[in-house]
Amino acid sequence: MKRIFSAVIALALFATACNSSSTKEKTAEENTLETAAQEQQYIVSLNGTLTEVLYALGKGDQIVGTDVTSVYPKETSELPKLGHVNHIQAEGIISLQPDVVYALENELSPELQEQLKSTGIELQLYPLDYSLEGAKNLINALGKSANAEEKASELIAKIDEDAAQLKTLENQPKALFIYARGVGNLLVAGENTQMDAMIKMAGAKNAAEGFEGFKPLTPEALVAANPDAIIMFDSGKHSVQSEEGTLSIPGIEETTAGKNNNIITMEGLYLAGFGPRVGSAMVELNNALANL
Amino acid sequence: MKVKNSVLLVLLILLVVVSICVTSGIGAVSISFPEVFDIIGYKLGIVSENAIDQRIAAVWTNIRFPRVLLSVLVGGALSYSGATMQGLFRNPLADPSIIGISLGAAAMAAITIVIIAPLMQAYQFFGLSILSVTTFVGAAGVALFIYRIARTNGKTSVSTMLLAGIAINAISGAITGILTYMADESQLRDLTFWTLGSLGGANYTNVIIVAIALTIALVMLLPETKSFNALALGEQEAKLIGTNTEKLKNKVIFTTALIVGVSVAFTGMIGFVGLVIPHIIRLAGGSDHRFVLPASLLGGALLLNVGDTIARTVIAPTELPIGIITSVVGAPTFLMLLLHRKKTLGI
Repeated sequence: MKRIFSAVIALALFATACNSSSTKEKTAEENTLETAAQEQQYIVSLNGTLTEVLYALGKGDQIVGTDVTSVYPKETSELPKLGHVNHIQAEGIISLQPDVVYALENELSPELQEQLKSTGIELQLYPLDYSLEGAKNLINALGKSANAEEKASELIAKIDEDAAQLKTLENQPKALFIYARGVGNLLVAGENTQMDAMIKMAGAKNAAEGFEGFKPLTPEALVAANPDAIIMFDSGKHSVQSEEGTLSIPGIEETTAGKNNNIITMEGLYLAGFGPRVGSAMVELNNALANL
Repeated sequence: MKVKNSVLLVLLILLVVVSICVTSGIGAVSISFPEVFDIIGYKLGIVSENAIDQRIAAVWTNIRFPRVLLSVLVGGALSYSGATMQGLFRNPLADPSIIGISLGAAAMAAITIVIIAPLMQAYQFFGLSILSVTTFVGAAGVALFIYRIARTNGKTSVSTMLLAGIAINAISGAITGILTYMADESQLRDLTFWTLGSLGGANYTNVIIVAIALTIALVMLLPETKSFNALALGEQEAKLIGTNTEKLKNKVIFTTALIVGVSVAFTGMIGFVGLVIPHIIRLAGGSDHRFVLPASLLGGALLLNVGDTIARTVIAPTELPIGIITSVVGAPTFLMLLLHRKKTLGI
């Protein structure tokens, strides 16, 4: 028994020793970091929208790893994937030897932030507002941080150019976004979601009102909401076996959208990413809604 | 204690030590063993600063080594508390979750992630995350509440504790269910990953807190191994031969609340370890608690240490949830032992 006691105590003492000495080295690390910032930096990007912006800014060749939501452009599929941002391990990121990690605010756990900082990796955290302004601000901020301000202005100008083509929808159709993960597992986008913002930007009304976030919807509530159009991600449509599958969701057939087969599907990151393609996605949705 | 069991204990201690040395040299960032020795030497002031890569040193000392230590301590704590619970309840299915501790902590985690965290400006609380503090309160609170319910006239009824545990599990499940419904997408993912467990947040503060809790538990319960053996005969019989069973119950409940509480607080829910390791130990060396308690501690430490190393390396640069690994590694071993020793199974 004594052996066990002394082993545990020895472990605790050793841990204390390591802890007290680890604080000293930070200043030295920060110095090396500053000199490294002048040269070509290697990047790990932990959000699909950030990755897309970085590629659009011409920084794609500096990206050495991404999270699972980074699926555009298709070059990202060749990069090491670090898993989901809620469950990423520090050693995995560090093993790719990045100089800087880009992530959205609130998405990176405080523990992971501490661990990355302690190894001298620079953290760049950004907010993402679900609006055209939000997308432009993000591109602007990333442009500054990645020394590509000229390119950033071009991207912003492109968003404005795309957005100018938006048509006013006289009848304000009601659209419902369904996030489908298999038949029987359907969530709809309520208020304060990126899809709520996108539907409103495209000139329509969100048929799901009175609650926030993504919620399962009963067939009766679906009929009561009576959307004129149903919007889905490509991947979501696939999970309920194509269009017939979508139409077989209980309640859908009774809605205007179901009767007229008004189902709009678009790629997820394109439609809800609020990145450089936000203007074009908004106009495409606007057109689809105008042609109902 | 039988000679064979003493040999097994020594073997387990050696295995844990070897495992700590080996696993602290394995990870997504490749650090060779000579480098590890250089880093330790540098920390102790023997090796000069120029001899080592500062970033690699930081990875090893700030990320990997605390994680290895935490896996050993948490594995030991979970398995040890499982062994004491099985001893107390004289029930092979007992583990900390049977009296509602795990689900109680999960309900607190849900409350924290969905309701408390969005209201808080700062995420830290005396250097610990709010989630760690609240889940500890949830786990320890449930244990003490159940103990309070089961206590009448200075006596604790073990069967009342079991039944109250079932009720607490149901209530906790309902709370978690409501909050799962209320949660937005990212909160939902936080919650899911929390219930799968992870040692990724390890740092020295966590390690020291778990080490202190475990030391307290060992000091309180290791001298009681003979009382556990007496209790195995039955509560009345144990009393007749002079065992203070009430004192033993108090100690088991208190230490379980403490060590399972801190483990869950820092690593989320890691199932299986507390249930199966003590069984494997009993199959290997019999049910003498003088052997079962320390051997379970070491066996749990070994399983979680090896399991976590697999979790963080097998699909590097990302990682698998540790709960999956503990089941995949532990369950077949357990089944094999069960088949092999079916006839002599003594619980």
